[in-house]
Amino acid sequence: MIHLQALSKTYETPAGSFEALCGIDLDIDAGEFVAIVGKSGSGKSTLLNMVGGIDRPSSGSLTVNGASIASLTHNELAMWRGRTVGFVFQFFQLLPTLTVAENVMLPMDFLGTLPGSQRKKRAMDLLDRVAVADQADKLPSALSGGQQQRVAIARALANDPPVILADEPTGNLDSETSTAIFKLFGELSSEGKTLLVVTHDREAAATVSRTVTIADGCVA
Amino acid sequence: MIAPRWRKVLRDIGQTPLRTALAVVAMAAGAFGVTMILTSYSILKRELGTMYTDTRPASAILTIDGTVDDTLVDSVRRMPGVADAEARPVIYGRIQVAKDHWLPLTLFVIRDFSDIRLDRFKPDSGAWPPGDDEMLIERSSLSVANASLSDRVIIRTSDHAEHAVRITGTVHAAGLAPGWMEHAVTGFVSWSSHLRSSATSADQLRLLVATDALNERHIRDVASKVEASINRKVTRIDVPTPGRHPHAAQMDTFLFLLGAFGALTFALSAVLVATMIHALLTEQLRQIGVMKTVGASTMQIAALYLGQVAILAAAALAIGIPLGIDAGGAYARFAASMLNATLRSTLPPLWIIAAEVLAGIAIPLLVALGPIARASRITIHEAFSNDIGRHPFGTRRFDRWLARIQWLPRPLMLSLRTTFHRRGRLILTVATLAAGGAAFIAALNVSAAWNRTLAADARGRRFDVQAVFSRPVPIAQVQQVLDKHPDVVHAEYWIESGAMLGETNVSLIGPDANTKLLDLPLIAGRWLQPDDEAVAVINQSALAHDLHLGGNIPLRINGKIVTWRIVGVVNELAPHANVYAPPRTILAATGKSPDLTRSARIVTRQRDIPGQLAAAKSIEQALNNAGIDVAAVQSLSDSRKSFADHLVIIKSALIFAALLVVLVGGLGLTSTLTLNVFERTREIGILSAIGATPRTIARDVVFEGMVMAVLSWFIAVIAAIPITFALDDAAGRMFIRSALDFYMSPTAVAAWLLLVLILAALSRFHPARRSARLAVREAIAYE
Repeated sequence: MIHLQALSKTYETPAGSFEALCGIDLDIDAGEFVAIVGKSGSGKSTLLNMVGGIDRPSSGSLTVNGASIASLTHNELAMWRGRTVGFVFQFFQLLPTLTVAENVMLPMDFLGTLPGSQRKKRAMDLLDRVAVADQADKLPSALSGGQQQRVAIARALANDPPVILADEPTGNLDSETSTAIFKLFGELSSEGKTLLVVTHDREAAATVSRTVTIADGCVA
Repeated sequence: MIAPRWRKVLRDIGQTPLRTALAVVAMAAGAFGVTMILTSYSILKRELGTMYTDTRPASAILTIDGTVDDTLVDSVRRMPGVADAEARPVIYGRIQVAKDHWLPLTLFVIRDFSDIRLDRFKPDSGAWPPGDDEMLIERSSLSVANASLSDRVIIRTSDHAEHAVRITGTVHAAGLAPGWMEHAVTGFVSWSSHLRSSATSADQLRLLVATDALNERHIRDVASKVEASINRKVTRIDVPTPGRHPHAAQMDTFLFLLGAFGALTFALSAVLVATMIHALLTEQLRQIGVMKTVGASTMQIAALYLGQVAILAAAALAIGIPLGIDAGGAYARFAASMLNATLRSTLPPLWIIAAEVLAGIAIPLLVALGPIARASRITIHEAFSNDIGRHPFGTRRFDRWLARIQWLPRPLMLSLRTTFHRRGRLILTVATLAAGGAAFIAALNVSAAWNRTLAADARGRRFDVQAVFSRPVPIAQVQQVLDKHPDVVHAEYWIESGAMLGETNVSLIGPDANTKLLDLPLIAGRWLQPDDEAVAVINQSALAHDLHLGGNIPLRINGKIVTWRIVGVVNELAPHANVYAPPRTILAATGKSPDLTRSARIVTRQRDIPGQLAAAKSIEQALNNAGIDVAAVQSLSDSRKSFADHLVIIKSALIFAALLVVLVGGLGLTSTLTLNVFERTREIGILSAIGATPRTIARDVVFEGMVMAVLSWFIAVIAAIPITFALDDAAGRMFIRSALDFYMSPTAVAAWLLLVLILAALSRFHPARRSARLAVREAIAYE
């Protein structure tokens, strides 16, 4: 599903060049639940951003779900991302002026994946799936952190993408909620979704099918 | 059902009511300003354009020696090339407006008040037509005459006879200049008026050409043919500039200034819109990143924000356009009253409203297109980055220079660095402030330039009182009166006559060779010298007739062409052409007697304004007592005021523009600077977190505003220079045929600095304190 070959990323900064990733080779199969661990600044999030098409590699090749990301234009990449990848962030990144249900409907709205009349039902199904359907008409600010992250997961699933990428999804949650979130990820994995999760949470990382450790931009 | 993304747009607008209100108010202020100017411009252009032509102005006026009777008029009406003709004798005299205070009076004798064919006027109030010992007065003259309806006024005709005449009604003669502006009174009497039988009148025959009514040469040809065929002595043929109201130059200048400031207000509002959009997008970057993450394309994101701008612009238009139309109508009414015009409607043409709506939506969208396109193309990585821009502080040379400033208190240093680091924000804010400042300063500069032109012209005329006689009188007779008069220090009797320069009437003025009473500023060449012969010094209005220094000026005097060499050009505050020549040159060309004069220029003992006025009265009295037929005695301060009154409308446009800029700019600036503080909420949160008090934060944010204000003021002063030059040039050329002298008004420059500093302080203090009082967590929250 995800194929990285000699993937490198170098940033030019005022202080000089900084190599965030140094020739990573990595293959992840469909349905795998992979945790990426490592110290702060090791390159975990950079790697995730490359896979999700948020950032482009400096060299090497990257194929996700059969698509070579480097060859896609800006707009093709947006479309591809909407259909192929669902993102979950540490700080949830829900749009504050949309209700919970509307946040989940937004990706469908942008990609037009379902007829307008069916989007609300799908959003409600997904919210039910992550156990926050009763919060559907509230604004994100009225929800707890755990509930917001569940909504973010529902939003990530809106267009039924084969790949879910999560960057420190439990970094802002208590341990009980963190365990629940990882349990949910596990269920998604068992349903065939490919999950790549950046985390510091060693306990949670133990529940995944594979752990990849990154140190100084390289797979350790 | 509205799609979630469009709901986001609507809720984003509603989510921050203060910010939305500020943005809408700033845009509405721009829409208001532009609508107001366009409305008044279009109303005045429409109404003034038809106002004059509706009077059916005469193409030519023939002054005839002898009575113009109905038979003559009928025969002229039947002549080829003549569409219509009318007799209109004119009685020139004086009207008493107070004890010993007389003003010039022109009374038109009307053949038939029920059949006025040319230079029409309409009843305004009171009776119509007047009885035999009654007169109607032009409505703008009533206050000048210091009279009311039904008052009996004293009129002194040129034969020194005084007549008591009752004013029974007012009329509106749209083709005449307002009486208050001319400092003269105009009235109308009937054919059977007692005045007509007792006073001398200049019998005029007015005619309208049948075709080619705007062709001056054709009109003169027709008038000459009429002159040749009527078998009467025609003493003078006047051809008013076809299609031009007597105050057309003022109207043109006024409308030009309105248009110019309309464009400046428009530019100001466009910059305001750009500032609003910049503020909006800065705050939305992270959300753009989120939307891109979930699959939004660049186009979809751009459409969302363009939609948001369109909604805000529509709201601004809903406020700005109706208010602008109302205010524009009110201003048009005021301006029309200045020009003795009556507006039939104060509604702007529909196309103006349609264009305003279209432009009001399209312009913000166009202005927004660039920033929105840039923001929509931003990568998710950039959108989520906490870096302020692509260039962190310290990576540019200017940043490093700024970092070397160590002597300021640290919080102020931070403010300064923040100000200059966020260049996009700085440029837009400063541009908004500077655009407003430049327009404000330019408006006051042009107004001051008019004042200075007026003062410079007055300085060049060193006499205090000018007496004009109804007919040429012996110089010795006048001299005898003035030499004995206690108020008179010095008097000169210049030779004056008229001539034609092409199709234009020009005044020939022959001052004394060694005159001390005239020192007009020279644009080129030299002034007249005692031994000069057949030379002329012309003013800039004459120069506009394809003449040049060193060349010849061809003048038609008494039917003959004479040419004089142009040795100098003077700058004179006069829209008409004046030619100064040695007295003997004028006498030789006109054949006039050197012993007769039509005017005297007098230096009085008391030279202040009350002294001039008192002297004018007593000199008039003395001349009258000596049997000298005085047409007018005017103090220089009076004639200066008369000219200044001609500028009232122009200066009103400038003051109006300056006030509008203060209003539009003031609201815009307040909004911009306030929004600017909102943008810094996160930074303020960090400062609070590390111990800065609300007071310290407010002080620093206000300081930052002051830095922007001073910077913008500096740019405004520089930008005002070319704008002032352009306006001085165009407005001066339209009205007095020469550019006004450039002048940078220190008052305007200082006033704008003060204004912008006050605005900066007021608009930043409150939001800064508010932001500083927010909980730190709230201020640095991610969303």
